[in-house]
Amino acid sequence: MTTQSLIRASVTLFMVALAALLAWALWQHYMYSPWTRDGRVRARVVQVAPDVSGLVTEVAVADNQTVQQGDLLFVIDRSRYRNALQQAEADQRAAEAAARAAGADIRAAQASAAKARAEFAMRQAESRRRDRIAEAVSREVRDNAHSNADAAQAQLQAAQASHQRATASQQQLLARLQQANAALALAQLNLERTQVRAPVDGYVTNLELYPGDYAHAGQAHMALIDRHDFWVYGYFEETKLPNVHVGDAVQVRLLSGIRARGTVDSIAHGIADRDNPTGANLLADVNPTFNWVRLAQRVPVRVSIDADSLPEGTVLAAGMTATLTLNPS
Amino acid sequence: MPREIAVLDALVPSLLLVFVFSLLLQWAVDWVGGRYGLYRYVWHPPLFRVAVFFCCFGGLGLLAMQ
Repeated sequence: MTTQSLIRASVTLFMVALAALLAWALWQHYMYSPWTRDGRVRARVVQVAPDVSGLVTEVAVADNQTVQQGDLLFVIDRSRYRNALQQAEADQRAAEAAARAAGADIRAAQASAAKARAEFAMRQAESRRRDRIAEAVSREVRDNAHSNADAAQAQLQAAQASHQRATASQQQLLARLQQANAALALAQLNLERTQVRAPVDGYVTNLELYPGDYAHAGQAHMALIDRHDFWVYGYFEETKLPNVHVGDAVQVRLLSGIRARGTVDSIAHGIADRDNPTGANLLADVNPTFNWVRLAQRVPVRVSIDADSLPEGTVLAAGMTATLTLNPS
Repeated sequence: MPREIAVLDALVPSLLLVFVFSLLLQWAVDWVGGRYGLYRYVWHPPLFRVAVFFCCFGGLGLLAMQ
């Protein structure tokens, strides 16, 4: 073998080896380095629902308006709840008066018990006196005195019982007063809740509520996007997941070209198994897939955005597409 | 370098552009090699050409992915 042919073979083989190495490195990098084009900007969406039902009389915000926590969003017809409040106030005053009357009843019962006690004492003393001078009074008079004393004792017992009854009825009326107070507080709360206020700082989005609509209690009528809580969900293929760690720095690139820095917050620990829905008779309905080609599942990775790294005035909207590249730390 | 580039409003992976650029580069290297008779020092020119192309694409691709 000449030197010439040795050089020829070694140059070629070196080039082929280098090509194989570079191709393998690029394949590894492309397939397993943690990056994804499948990222979505997400935000906390608060579904604002009124706490009371009624006609909407006023919508105080415009579509896409920025609101602060506590700002008025919309008002539900107040007249019904104002009437209920007046009714509750009247009920409460009536209950108060009844409780006061019960107090007076108790004092009256006390007075009549005292009177019965005095009467009994007098009759008893009289009966004893007549017993002592038995030779001076007739037997009839003594018997009368005895029965008078017994009657006075019975009256005293009756008066004591009616005092107890008056006390019990006062307690009942005091409980009624508490009920009336609670009903008044509820009516006040209901009247207050006719004004629906923003629970968070944010943006009103897709406003579809107009004066004249009927709002049902507990049914969401307005979407409010929390201004302080935007994040990105990166759907990473499972092949890339081993290189994703909580705390890794992430470069977020929106489709518009805007770049931001982020950090891996957490990795989802479950996605739905699309091949295994439950069949009609509760048995597994396993899809007989052709398993030469297997698609990597995608697992959501939550990435928090560093708000300072966003250019001034960037509009970040939930649902935007983002490309995420991890720079493992 | 971004991972995807809009070409006429269609988003294509930047690796596709790297591929096209590598083809051009390989063509240029091939022309220079033929012009100055460098293929005299090569054992199997077609294999060498393919290897050169893979080197261009692999190297540039790895650079682009950084």
